[in-house]
Amino acid sequence: MSLRDTGRQVRLRRTGRVPSDARVRHYDELDDDEQGVVRELAGEPWTAPETGDLGDGDVVKFTEYYLVRSR
Amino acid sequence: MSDSYVIVGDGIAGASAAETLREEAPDAEITVLTDEGESLYNRILIKEYAKGKLPEAPISIHQEDWYDEHDVDLRLNTVVVDIDVENDAVHTHEGETFEYDSLLLAIGGTPQQLPVENADADGIHHFWTFQDARNIKESVEGAEKGVIVGAGLLGIDFAAICGAQDVEAKYLMRGDNWWRYALSEEGAEIMHEAMRERGVEPVFDSGVDRFEVDDDGHVEAAVDPNGERYECDFAGVAIGLNFNTELVEDTPLEIDDGIVVDEFMRTNVDNVYAAGDITSFNDLILGEQAKNGSWGSAKEQGTIAARNMVEYGSEAFEWVSSYSITHFDFPFLSFGHPTLGDDSVEATTAESEWRRVALKDGKVVGGVLIGDLSPQSAFKQLMREGRDVSDQKDRLMEPGFSVDDLAAPTEQ
Repeated sequence: MSLRDTGRQVRLRRTGRVPSDARVRHYDELDDDEQGVVRELAGEPWTAPETGDLGDGDVVKFTEYYLVRSR
Repeated sequence: MSDSYVIVGDGIAGASAAETLREEAPDAEITVLTDEGESLYNRILIKEYAKGKLPEAPISIHQEDWYDEHDVDLRLNTVVVDIDVENDAVHTHEGETFEYDSLLLAIGGTPQQLPVENADADGIHHFWTFQDARNIKESVEGAEKGVIVGAGLLGIDFAAICGAQDVEAKYLMRGDNWWRYALSEEGAEIMHEAMRERGVEPVFDSGVDRFEVDDDGHVEAAVDPNGERYECDFAGVAIGLNFNTELVEDTPLEIDDGIVVDEFMRTNVDNVYAAGDITSFNDLILGEQAKNGSWGSAKEQGTIAARNMVEYGSEAFEWVSSYSITHFDFPFLSFGHPTLGDDSVEATTAESEWRRVALKDGKVVGGVLIGDLSPQSAFKQLMREGRDVSDQKDRLMEPGFSVDDLAAPTEQ
């Protein structure tokens, strides 16, 4: 398990443009917990506890490109 | 004297092995040989580059300085032509010899070419490397009409690329639906409709009998076995891989649809290991030899191989793989071995949501999820546990299914 208690919350914001310096990962590269967060938050205005290696500024390719914001 | 490890291949299997070896054996000599001209990149994302959705930079995973920082001797553009397992050495096309204490073969595969006339014409593409993706992007951006061949997980990438690049395409399939070995018509129709929405028309009971070319040798049409002619200035062919076993055919290494390894990724030669697409491995979950080409599986195999190269028997490969398609506005995921098994159960669980689970001897061995991926963790858990669900398989189809929904397992 990669759950970690950082006290931070993540959300996913759909993004149409991927910066050249972004760390981009495909859904298939994520572990089970990270995939669960992506499924839960993609396209939704919700937050979830930060998990695994998903960090602020990362971009995830799922059905769209999503920018990870962590606060 | 420190141990020396040679890795042939710098895909995710070879690279993860190099990284693990450096962690597990800090003083070892590690050499990575690759015939490609660039170091590890993200093979999952190169289709996004070809679609025009992603710039080049984020696709690179290891810059060349990564190898310097980890004291790994990376040799690009290095073609291995001979493996001498009796003398623990590999020989390259350039005449160099690399001796090893332990060898890892992560040599993958090469896309199959259609055995038809003009199959190597300009404008006909196969898709495996980053350089392939660059060539495809350049070609498809100037194309108007495309033809796609290969009704599987790799072929659909071509469909998505054509759709994203506004190329009107015909997707020629031999059977009556896409990926017919894992999907029924009902499930496949969801995929067909998504293709149509992007300007890619599935053509069933078709295929390619020959390609026609213009005076410059560029593809201008595909003709199917029924005599139907489909004009195209771009063609994508994804009918499978030839595993690169020719390198080891004259060695004592056992080959059977790949290099045969045990659950520790070791071949029948004690100091030779293999990882990634090339392996036919002892799948502890399935209970038989198996193959898997997913990114996660290859990465894990590389890691496991490295640990066992340092200390044999230290960790077995036991992994449920999955592979997703994220080209459309709904997700698709296959897991385990969806084309195997002796039984299956499937259902449409909501509009544009479908699932199928394959079973063998009453146990889940794989499946496909379309639209709703939420049960993936539960199905993978059932696979790992080897739980007999034959008397309650309909429950697997219930929306929101979790393992807790099943009756407690009985003594087996």
